[in-house]
Amino acid sequence: MPQNIHIQNASLKFRIYRNRAPALKEAVIGMLTGKRDKDAVTEFDALKKINLTIRAGDRLGVIGLNGAGKSTMLKMIVGIYPPHQGRVVVQGKITPLIELGTGFDFELSGRENIYLNGALLGRSYQQMRQLESKIIEFSELAEFIDLPIKYYSSGMHGRLAFSIGTIVEPEILLVDEIFATGDAHFVEKATDRMRHLFNSSGITLLVSHNLNQIVDLCNRVIVLHKGEIVGDGPPDVMVNYYVNDVAHLLRPAAAVTPPVEPQLILK
Amino acid sequence: MPRELMRTAQSTDLLERPEQIAPDTTGDPLGETPADLELTSFDNPRESAFGYTCRSLAELRNIKFALASFVINNLRRRYRRSVLGFAWSLLNPLLTMAVMTAVFSLLWHSNPKTFGVYVFTGLLPWTYITDSIMSGSQSLVQSEAFLKKVYIPKSFFPLVAVSTETANFVFSLASLMVLACIVGVKMQWTVVLVPAAVALLFLFNFSVTLILAIATVYFRDLTHIIKVVLSTVFYLVPIIYSLEMVPEKYRVLFLLNPIFYFIDLFRALIYVGTVPDLVRWAIPCLITAVTLTVAFYTLMKTDKDLIYRL
Repeated sequence: MPQNIHIQNASLKFRIYRNRAPALKEAVIGMLTGKRDKDAVTEFDALKKINLTIRAGDRLGVIGLNGAGKSTMLKMIVGIYPPHQGRVVVQGKITPLIELGTGFDFELSGRENIYLNGALLGRSYQQMRQLESKIIEFSELAEFIDLPIKYYSSGMHGRLAFSIGTIVEPEILLVDEIFATGDAHFVEKATDRMRHLFNSSGITLLVSHNLNQIVDLCNRVIVLHKGEIVGDGPPDVMVNYYVNDVAHLLRPAAAVTPPVEPQLILK
Repeated sequence: MPRELMRTAQSTDLLERPEQIAPDTTGDPLGETPADLELTSFDNPRESAFGYTCRSLAELRNIKFALASFVINNLRRRYRRSVLGFAWSLLNPLLTMAVMTAVFSLLWHSNPKTFGVYVFTGLLPWTYITDSIMSGSQSLVQSEAFLKKVYIPKSFFPLVAVSTETANFVFSLASLMVLACIVGVKMQWTVVLVPAAVALLFLFNFSVTLILAIATVYFRDLTHIIKVVLSTVFYLVPIIYSLEMVPEKYRVLFLLNPIFYFIDLFRALIYVGTVPDLVRWAIPCLITAVTLTVAFYTLMKTDKDLIYRL
């Protein structure tokens, strides 16, 4: 079954409450007097008229400055943020790796958290039963798996989260700056796993600031700037464009040398 | 700056790429899609209220395992590391009731034992309602971190809160029945109808909690208002007294309180032991139908906006 993502003319804006959420009192007064305190809310266009078609086989890299709307676009595709205008149509099951370990309950054991986290990723109990041993094996936490995860080190925590999130070969994989933590051995294993997932999933979207990683893993790249798609094309061309024409807007001096990016796992 | 950038961008070769693939983008994606594909559209203005309700319920059914995990974990956390564990959920109400019955038997002299049962047939549904509302009305605001990281139907967390309280309520009811047997209240066969009443009260609680949870997202002050209102309403529900003890001219105040009808139903089934007549069932059913409709309508209207208000 071919996967498809179609984003048609989608715009999305955030409201920023300057002081606090509108109180009941103000809403009532506003209703009575017909006036609204316009200063209390600032609107911010996070995505502006995005048109994008992603087809099966696309491994799409998304690059842009901080606040360009990269993560917001990912979350719009997942369905977390519905667009205010336009539409998003997704065919295929999405596996979001936006933040690892979402919903971990620190009082519960590692094993219980596998089920809880899997449930939040939309997997059934039967599916998790089958995956449980594979997850434990990959995370190498067999001797600690029945301990509450509050006793885990941050490395163990990260290993468990990564193992749960990446155990299934996804139809559509959305990745937001994911990098595994742990010792060199696990990072190496995780890198292989990610590479495998990238190659086996129908569609991959990767948000990253690591441009080497983008060129290495993606076959198409879009450049986002202030909520708009300003470039779409092959990775090397787009990365060049981003470095020379977008990134230097922020710091003109850096335009001569490509910015040094933090090393993530998939270099 | 974006204007400037756009112009720079357009003057380079690179930006001609989007135009090259433009025909792809404009092609109608749905035209080539077989009908049985999993299709998720977040912008469907023509969706009917019925369609919306069906979709919400289907979404909830899809994550029923997550729902069960959350409820069980909530319950487990309450009794984690305690020696008696889950037994506390039965023991706790039992002990409270024993103490209350003892106190009542000192304060009131006539038939103190059955009076304890009378009080608790009212107090347990009342506690169930208030606990659900108190924990559930904050559930959306408190689960902001979840809702912004994974896609979960908005009704999920209110449902978790109410389900957790339902489990506690069922345990407490079981304890009450045990206590009633001990103190010698003769229970009639009507107790077999209690599950139906529990189901009805569950739907009522869920819908009210859902409405309040959504409202709390928009008006955070409600958290405090709800607390005050609930403690006031407590005195407007005949729990430690009976409706007959209320002066006739004030009785209408009690009859206007929807919660009264649910408590009345439980009391009829457990304490009085008569099959409630049709009207006694019809009124709470009607109330529940109204609150459910309001709840799903509110959810439908705010579903897409809620995440931006958290």
